[in-house]
Order: sequence, then structure tokens, then C-alpha cells
Amino acid sequence: MRFRFRNSEDAEGIELTAAEWVLRCDRGLSGEEQDELSRWLAADRRHGVALALQRWSWEELDRLAGVQTSLAVFDPELVGPIPEGTYPRTGSRRAWIAGIAAALTLSVGVLYFARSPEVRSPVPTRLAAPCERRTLDDGTLVDCNRDAQIEVNYSNAVRQVRLVRGEVNFHVAKDPTRPFVVMAGDVSLHALGTVFNVRLDSHVVEVVVREGEVQMGRMAPERLSASATLPRLSANQRVVIPHTPAVQPLVTLLNTHELESRLAWQPRLLDFSDAPLDQIAVAFNRHNVVRVTLKDRSLHAVRLSATFRSDNVEGFLRLIESEFGVRADWRSESEVLLHKIN
Amino acid sequence: MLLSGISKVCRFIEPRLDTHDSHSAEWFAAKVLPHEQDLRAWLQARFFLASDVDDIVQEAYSRLWRAHATGVIACPRAFVFLTARNLALNRLRHQRLERPPGTVEVDAFTLPGDHASIPDTIAHAEDLQLLLRAIQSLPERCRQVVRLRKIYGLSQKEVAARLGISVATVETQGIIGLRKCTEYFRRHGYLSSRR
Repeated sequence: MRFRFRNSEDAEGIELTAAEWVLRCDRGLSGEEQDELSRWLAADRRHGVALALQRWSWEELDRLAGVQTSLAVFDPELVGPIPEGTYPRTGSRRAWIAGIAAALTLSVGVLYFARSPEVRSPVPTRLAAPCERRTLDDGTLVDCNRDAQIEVNYSNAVRQVRLVRGEVNFHVAKDPTRPFVVMAGDVSLHALGTVFNVRLDSHVVEVVVREGEVQMGRMAPERLSASATLPRLSANQRVVIPHTPAVQPLVTLLNTHELESRLAWQPRLLDFSDAPLDQIAVAFNRHNVVRVTLKDRSLHAVRLSATFRSDNVEGFLRLIESEFGVRADWRSESEVLLHKIN
Repeated sequence: MLLSGISKVCRFIEPRLDTHDSHSAEWFAAKVLPHEQDLRAWLQARFFLASDVDDIVQEAYSRLWRAHATGVIACPRAFVFLTARNLALNRLRHQRLERPPGTVEVDAFTLPGDHASIPDTIAHAEDLQLLLRAIQSLPERCRQVVRLRKIYGLSQKEVAARLGISVATVETQGIIGLRKCTEYFRRHGYLSSRR
């Protein structure tokens, strides 16, 4: 190694060399380096003093080991998150139809009978699956309620997701080296191996924890630390946090029934393989307020293979209307009769 | 186990910590000793250092005591694991042994579990906040390196793998970071008050 500033021997130069030695010692010195260090230390009394100072500084930083598990010092800015993308969920009918169409392309039998050119036209990947859920890079599962929007910012050190609007359910993959933090308004939610649900509207942030724990905090503007620590939520707890910091959040314990009904919005994927239409109607009815009834007996013979989101009754009806000669007759907001068109 | 642990440590620490500070002894018994079995098992499994484990644990404890005597430690378990890991790696190097093959790069075992997060009172401690601000003041790449090394406790090699940069760059960035942190400590009176 060359000694920089060897001749000038200014304090700054000594300090730099000392810092270099600290980092080298930290990774382990080779035999030659060991000798070199000894020579450097012997050359000037100030060298040893400088080395001790830099080593002290370096070791002081060890006090922070493991501090990432604390929400209070969590700081997404500190690690410079790398933007990964924005995932909006549209609730538009176009998207639903495209989604259904794409799902159907997976089903060869139905594709054969498909007439609509829309079925064969390419659709964006984002819509290719009826978006029941997304899997983020780390394996975390995200279910977005209608119109929910999130921004995912994963960096090497932290997994940050910002809830822009709406309601989202997270099934967080464990990674102790990268905390998972959801930002909703100025509320931060630090997941501790967890399944939880977050809803953001103009007045409140609502959080429901199904499994594990979530540490909540309110972010200070400078983001170095949470300015206020909010309670830690455990399984089956629900909290409503007003955007006004002055109002105390209220934590309530939900019983199993309340929890299930609160989380009932989460769609399921209904997967039908050569299933008769009446069975499909029953499956949809089980998951929705809308009752679908087959008026004509001949409809029972209609069979199809497809994958639907359980909440996508409308898309399902449009598909069978356009592809199977069926007319959907809305009798009320929650009642649909299906007729065969002859 | 608890008593023998304490007496073992007492041989290595400055006497005043042990004899005059029952509060520290309690802290040690509550926050550190419960992890000793894990630590020993981990050192043995990771580094095949059966014969040196005692020495490493003692040395790590002695460093822990010094740090404890002079300020706040965010997470004693993480501190001890990291210190022991560094000591073990150095020892292997000294014996000219390579790190055992198959050792995972990021060893989550050194980190506290999901449910062992640090109390806010500790995290809010002025010292720790100052240390964090020092890291925060660093240029980006430097900050990443120092944060991964010191907070997440990754080795130079592991940081290089995580950030996709060379080990030499990690070292250079570490040097810059260290100098700037020392400078930050000096400017903010941390050097004069603590050292």
C-alpha cells in the first residue's frame, strides 16, 4: 500500500490513512499488511492516536446494530428506496372484460368457440389475470380492493409500500433483513411477520390485523423518526386512526365473525373446469349480494372452463351474454335472471 | 446457567462495572445471557470454531460491556452476534482458513426475531439518533454501505453482493463513510462528550 500524504503529514492525511487501516483491519489484514501497519504506527506517534480515534468512531456505529427492527428510527429516505413501479387497479368494465377474455384464452375449449375479436387481441400483462392478488418480488401477497392503488418501493434495505388510496390486504413474506413498511397518509405500519388489511380514505386510516403484529407510527416531516408512536396492534385487532393527530386512535378487538365480515371484501379466485352454468351461478351467489338465477332449464347444460374473480359478477354475466346466447335480466340491484335467447 | 454466565463475564470486565453496578448486571442477565446458547451454537455451526468459541464469546462480552458503560446499545443481541461474527472471521483469517463453504451470505440468525423489536425509549435515545443522523448525512452509496454494515451487520463481502458492487468499492465507501462520520461526531460535540 502507498501512504497517501506521507510527506505532508497533515492531520487530514493521517486521518484518512487511519480510516483506511480501520476498514482493512475490519475485513482482516494479510501478513504483509500487518507488517505495513506496524511500520506506519511506528513512524509517528500521531498515527496511533488517529487510528484509535477512527476505530472508536467505527465501533460506536455498532450501537446501531439491529436498530432496523425499531419503527421509531425507521427512515425510508436513509436507504434511498429504488422505485419499482406503481400498480393501479382499474375497476373499469373494459379491464374486466379483457381480464376475462385473457383468462379464457387459457381454456382451449372455450377459446375454440369464442367469436369476439377481443378475445384474441393481446391484452396488457397487468390485466392478463383477473387480478385476484399480486405477488411482489419478495413473495409478499397483495390483494387490492376495487380502485385501490399502491406504490412499491423496494430497496436493498427496506420494503416500502405506499398506499395511495383505497383498501389493500397484505400477506407479508418474512425477511428479517428488510423491514416491510406500509405508508398510508402520515401513518406508517411496520409489519412484524403479518397478515393485515389497510384502508385509507380522506378522514382516517383503518388497520385490521389478522395474524402477527403491526407497529404503527406517525411520520414526522423530516422522516428521521416517528414523531409519535402509535399502539402496536396484534392479531384480531382493529384501529381507526384519524388524520388529525390530536385525536387518539381507538383500538378494538374483533371476534372471529367480525373479523371475517370485515375482511370479506377480499375476492377469491373461482376456477371452473368444464363446469355447468348452474354450479357457477351458485359459486357466485355464495360470494356476492347479487343472486343469479337460471330461468331456463336448457341453461343447465351450458358448460364452460374459466377463471373469475369472485366479485366479478358483472364480467361473468357479460361473458355469457356475448358468448353463450344468454340474456341477463336485472330484476333489482341484487337479483338477476338468466334467460336463453332462442 | 445465569450465575455461571455472570461469573464468567466478570473475569473479563473492568471490576467497577460488576461490583458497583447491579443495574448493569441485571441488564446483562435480562438482555444478553438469554442469547448465549444461541450465540455459541451459531458460532460452532457457522465457523467450526469449537475450541475458540469461549474466547470469542468472552471478547464479545467485554466489548459489549465497554459499549454499555459508555452509552446506549440498540439491540444487545445483534451487537453481540455481530461482534462475535467479526471476531470469528478475523480468527479464521488469522489461521488462514477460508470461511466454510456453503455459509449463507446473509445470516438472518444474527438479527433479532420479528417479535423482539427494540423499545421506543431506547430507539429514541439521543446517542442513537445522533449516530443515525451521522449516517444519514453521508452521500448515498456511502450511506448504503455504512447502513448495511453497521445496522444490518453485513460483512464487506455481503454488502458487495447485496449492492452489486465490488468488495474494493465497499471498502472505499466504508473509508469515506468512516471519515465523514468521525467529522460529524466532532462537529456535533459527540467526540468531546463521549471520548
